[in-house]
Amino acid sequence: MTMNNANLSIEQIDALQEIVNIAMGQAGDSLARVLNSFVRLSVPRIRLINSAQASQCIAEIVGDTQQITAVRQSFYNKLCGEALTLFSSEGCRDLATLMGHQTLDTETEKELLFDISNILVGACLNGIAEQLGADLSFSAPSLMASNVVSSQLLSPDTLPWAYALQVEVNFSLEQHKFKSHLIIMLAEDAITALADSLNYFIEAI
Amino acid sequence: MATPVLVVDDSGMSRKLVIKSLPADWNVEIHQASNGQEALALYREGKAHVIFLDLTMPVMDGFEVLEALKREGFNAFVIVISADVQPKAQERVKELGAMAFLKKPVKADEVLHVLKEHGLL
Repeated sequence: MTMNNANLSIEQIDALQEIVNIAMGQAGDSLARVLNSFVRLSVPRIRLINSAQASQCIAEIVGDTQQITAVRQSFYNKLCGEALTLFSSEGCRDLATLMGHQTLDTETEKELLFDISNILVGACLNGIAEQLGADLSFSAPSLMASNVVSSQLLSPDTLPWAYALQVEVNFSLEQHKFKSHLIIMLAEDAITALADSLNYFIEAI
Repeated sequence: MATPVLVVDDSGMSRKLVIKSLPADWNVEIHQASNGQEALALYREGKAHVIFLDLTMPVMDGFEVLEALKREGFNAFVIVISADVQPKAQERVKELGAMAFLKKPVKADEVLHVLKEHGLL
């Protein structure tokens, strides 16, 4: 399969966008309960990227001079790929304060970021899988990079596929600097399975 | 006379789902908008006695629509239908004048219940 015929139809993208929207709403609600704050949600963005572009896409999403910390979780079964949760370094400090930590050692910060990643990735992926009637499992979070410049997070060989369907959702808090970008990359081989599931979903409406 | 109903959502599929969930015997004239700005334009033309409003939208979101409606005298019944299910989002839209809040994906019996509860049917 090439990148060109991996394109989803406008109707399929619209359905996926709405599915992600609902899943993101559930993730936002979970995050709001943990942080006891109102979470602002962005409109999900869906696009097809090749692995060479991936790094530039990340820089574009978070700002290219931004220092970020990234947590990675893989998901597998019929739908497979990688979910990255990105935090700005500034946002990490803010998160610590929000969670009631005066000072934060590296280990505690890591645990905190893993918790947030688990909440967002879990709610989003489960929400998407549930609506599409697909089974899905995901790995425990691992620290991908700590305080790196966003454009250096991914190199083409970090990703084991030529291209992927990228879904991006942003969570931010009012009156706080905390902001998190959730990036779900569906591997090229799973795009056909996704398209089939979307067709079932659309037919059922 | 048919009731002018406005369905506002950036997703065409989502608008379709809302329209399908309306009671079959409700005499309505349906208008659609894909963002808040288009919605306000239709409201000003008198095409929105009842508004089904999404919150997360590009250009102008649902909260901003409610604020604008408030400034313009709020001459419509607004039912918010949203994936943003935070209790605070629900509180906020009610404060801004929305009549009801329904979670996505919307269900026909919930729409029916809200319409009956507020004497729109």
